[in-house]
Amino acid sequence: MPELSYREAVRDALVRAMREDDDVFVMGEDIAEMGGSMGVTQGMLDEFGPTRVRNTPISEMALVGTGIGAAMQGMRPVVEVMYEDFLTLATEQIINQAAKHRYMSGGQLKVPLTVRTQGGAGWSPGAQHAQQLEAWFVHIPGLKVVFASTPADVRGLLWSSIYDDNPVVFFEHRTLYGIKEEVPDELEPIPLGKARVHREGEDVTVIATGRLVHEALAAAQQAEEQGVSVEIVDPRTLQPLDEEALVESVKKTNRCVVAHEAVTRMGFGAEVAAVVQHAAFDWLDAPIERVGAKFTPLPFAPVMEEWCVPHADDVLEAVMRTVGRNGN
Amino acid sequence: MATEIKLPRLGQGMESGTIVKWLKSEGEPVEKGEPLYELDTDKVTQEVEADASGVLLKIAVAEGEVEVGKTIAVIGEQGEEVSISENGAKAPDRATEAPAPAVSPVQDSGPVRQERRGRIKASPLARRIARERGLDLAQLRGTGPDGRIVAEDVERSAAAVSRVQDSGQVEVRQLSKVRQTIARRLTQAWEAPVFQLVVSADMTQSLALVDRLRELHPDERPTVTDVLTRVTAAALMRHRDVNAHFVEGAIHIHPSANVGIAVAAPQGLVVPVIPRAERLSVAEIARARADVVQRARDNKLKQDDLDGGTFTISNLGMFGIEQFVAVLNPPQVAILAVGASEDRVVVKDGDFVALPMMTMTLTCDHRAIDGAVGADFLRTLKQLVESPALAL
Amino acid sequence: MAKAVDRADLSQEQLTEFLRDMLLIRRFEEKVEERFRAGELPGFLHVAIGQEAVCVGVCRAMEDGDVFASTHRAHGHTLARGTSPNALMAELYGKLEGCSHGYGGSMHLYDVERGNLGANAVVGGGLPAITGAALAFQMRGEPRVALAFFGDGATNIGTFHESLNLAQLWGVPAVFVCENNHWAESTPASQHLPIEDLALRAEAYGMHSITVDGQDVEEVWSGAHDALEHARSGAGPVFLLANTYRLTGHYVGDPQVYRDKDEFRETRETQDPLDKLRDKLELSSEEWERLDAELTKVVEESVEFAKNGTDPAPEDALKNVYA
Repeated sequence: MPELSYREAVRDALVRAMREDDDVFVMGEDIAEMGGSMGVTQGMLDEFGPTRVRNTPISEMALVGTGIGAAMQGMRPVVEVMYEDFLTLATEQIINQAAKHRYMSGGQLKVPLTVRTQGGAGWSPGAQHAQQLEAWFVHIPGLKVVFASTPADVRGLLWSSIYDDNPVVFFEHRTLYGIKEEVPDELEPIPLGKARVHREGEDVTVIATGRLVHEALAAAQQAEEQGVSVEIVDPRTLQPLDEEALVESVKKTNRCVVAHEAVTRMGFGAEVAAVVQHAAFDWLDAPIERVGAKFTPLPFAPVMEEWCVPHADDVLEAVMRTVGRNGN
Repeated sequence: MATEIKLPRLGQGMESGTIVKWLKSEGEPVEKGEPLYELDTDKVTQEVEADASGVLLKIAVAEGEVEVGKTIAVIGEQGEEVSISENGAKAPDRATEAPAPAVSPVQDSGPVRQERRGRIKASPLARRIARERGLDLAQLRGTGPDGRIVAEDVERSAAAVSRVQDSGQVEVRQLSKVRQTIARRLTQAWEAPVFQLVVSADMTQSLALVDRLRELHPDERPTVTDVLTRVTAAALMRHRDVNAHFVEGAIHIHPSANVGIAVAAPQGLVVPVIPRAERLSVAEIARARADVVQRARDNKLKQDDLDGGTFTISNLGMFGIEQFVAVLNPPQVAILAVGASEDRVVVKDGDFVALPMMTMTLTCDHRAIDGAVGADFLRTLKQLVESPALAL
Repeated sequence: MAKAVDRADLSQEQLTEFLRDMLLIRRFEEKVEERFRAGELPGFLHVAIGQEAVCVGVCRAMEDGDVFASTHRAHGHTLARGTSPNALMAELYGKLEGCSHGYGGSMHLYDVERGNLGANAVVGGGLPAITGAALAFQMRGEPRVALAFFGDGATNIGTFHESLNLAQLWGVPAVFVCENNHWAESTPASQHLPIEDLALRAEAYGMHSITVDGQDVEEVWSGAHDALEHARSGAGPVFLLANTYRLTGHYVGDPQVYRDKDEFRETRETQDPLDKLRDKLELSSEEWERLDAELTKVVEESVEFAKNGTDPAPEDALKNVYA
């Protein structure tokens, strides 16, 4: 089995889909010659040409809206919004248009559009280049939302997103582009709405997304040394949510921590906590803990940024709180 | 106007009850007086009747233990808004209720039940495990954050309970409410200083009477126990010191013989009472006895059936037991243990003759009864058993 | 900038058809106003009285396979493109027989079969998707055009500029039809536009533009026809500016306190596109009344059809959220 980086895995899904299907094409700012600000589309211009690897103006409304129009004509565009902070410029198109055409038309239209974007802190860009805004979009009926945390996942999920007949907002994490994982030779689509259990454990379930999956894995290692067995589940698709898998895990471990890099308050984790407490109330042996960023814009100074966003030790502390121990 | 159905106090000393199941579901019409739910008190499981007519709008407590006075359901008109005013409120303060009678017939003299006023902090999982295993969270100490009882605390407690029987295929049965009451009351009884008196009686006339009564009352089919109940009631009226309760610092002498009959019901020993047995004919007693015994076996006794007993008869004659010692049924001061009627060789008028004899053992609480008092009662009882006509 | 006035292509017969369409729209809109005031129609309604010539001139110039996006003022475009009055009225009544099956309403009329990709209630909201549809036609080499209707008010919003910019940059087959009725809701052009000639905005992107008198259906048709053929030929998108008049309020029930009464009366008397076409066709009173009676009946029947339509079950609301 080949080993791919997260970046290569995204590209692999795009390239394979474009080779197979003329209706698939990519659009975005700086994605052609430059190969994307994260290097994801590098080399694709050479293979597919400027018609299918389209550089766009800095024009998020038109970028996403054009994708919507092409998708309504049966194409399967994948648009790249360079930073998820810039998704805010296209939210009207995503929320009022992409998410609602099928509904408002009484089922006459489909919008098979994929909006790829990335974000995440850890490199001090300040307040407008590293937010995690998935909670904005999971709240909108009509959208699907994916947040992949590993190369194998990102490849299989992106493929499924491209071939889903609904608009999908597809989050990638900036700090994960370099991580590697073995992936199958053949691209195996990963169905949307299926969680992945990264690690089995007995005492506490950590439901984590994006970078926090990796932080949780590190925390689990430390917890293990302290005699606490941690199970890690990544929902992978935030909408639709694999409630069954999450609840099943918590019913087994009786304790739950929800972890994401986004601001904790009103975050995706709040919904997960609500779902879990309702479905597994009689199985809970401790309050559900949440791990996320402080309620501030992201600060610039590295020491502040580091402090604001969660890391493995925050996950570990939350895990220990659920078993009635104060961290160390 | 909706009526809140509150958990009634069905007997003195009742602080709480356990709702076993509802006989009506939400939305179903209910007539006042219809059985509404099954309640397990520490004495009995019984059906409780609705005290209002209408539609069962809301079941506030589906099952489990509830304090007296708490709202457990609401009956009202179809579609009516339901709001439960004082759910979760404390049971009404006893001082605000009707003043206790000067003489409380079945005052529970046992230790006061631990009052649970504050909320017990326990995780949902701990609560579920405790519920499933019949463990009382109030008895547990929580080791979780802020003293919360967590699953581990309940598991540890459950393990301690079952450790003794932990080897092999031991079946652990948690005590039912009824069983708990039996255990508590009989342990309590064991603290009383008791003595026993034994006498045997010639049953010839009593058995003839039973035969005769059966001919007269084929429906009731009176038994030896019924005759015995009747003559015991008569004897008690002549020896009223025995028809008494011993309660803290006083002996309460009762005017009527409310004779309890120990019945081995599936859920455990219960003692339904035949009130004022001295005023009833044997046939009436037979009818009353058949009714309560049947209901005891069907687990359908009401609190009323159990309240107010002043003396107890325990008959194991049907098992062929010759004689045995019964444990006191507090606060009653005496209990009669009755063996089988069987032919024995006895000396009568200088000859060995075979007569149907029955041995009775009276257990007396020495705090209330001296030996001579008990002996005198037993002598009377023997006479009446041998010549039941004297009692009737 | 070009002024299109090549009218030779249209026969008397065609123009009579146009009149018929325009009168249908007028009678339909009047009925909508009436039924709304009677309390029968839920929601938010915007009628296009006074703008019928733009609806009919543009839609009659479109070909099968062309697609369009409309605005909150969409009844006219929808009828002119061939959606039956029954399906439209049923939609306004919230019935399953409606053109959006009760999911859209007046501001979200769809009829994908007839190229109607949806009326959009966000001003300018539909323009980017029209650029995208045109891109799809271009990439697939299909001789189809995507067309967007919008008003003068929309030329101030970002989607207008981003869409025109990208469409021109990529040369996609799109036509942007500005129905310039001089009012952005209640705000006159003088308060929301710093320029008088909106075609300048398209020209700033290097886009070909055509300006027509929106009250003259023949001129509208010609301009639209030219614009569509320009785009279809691969020469790039076109901005079609139709100067028109909204001879009614912004929405049904709008008291129009912001509008000068005398000026409004004069506009109604002089700028009614139906009067203009009727004069041009020299229709006799009998002919006019016969046509009017016929179309009035069609509209009446649409109300009956709609009222007898099927109400969706409340839980049908859960359908069509996802494909």
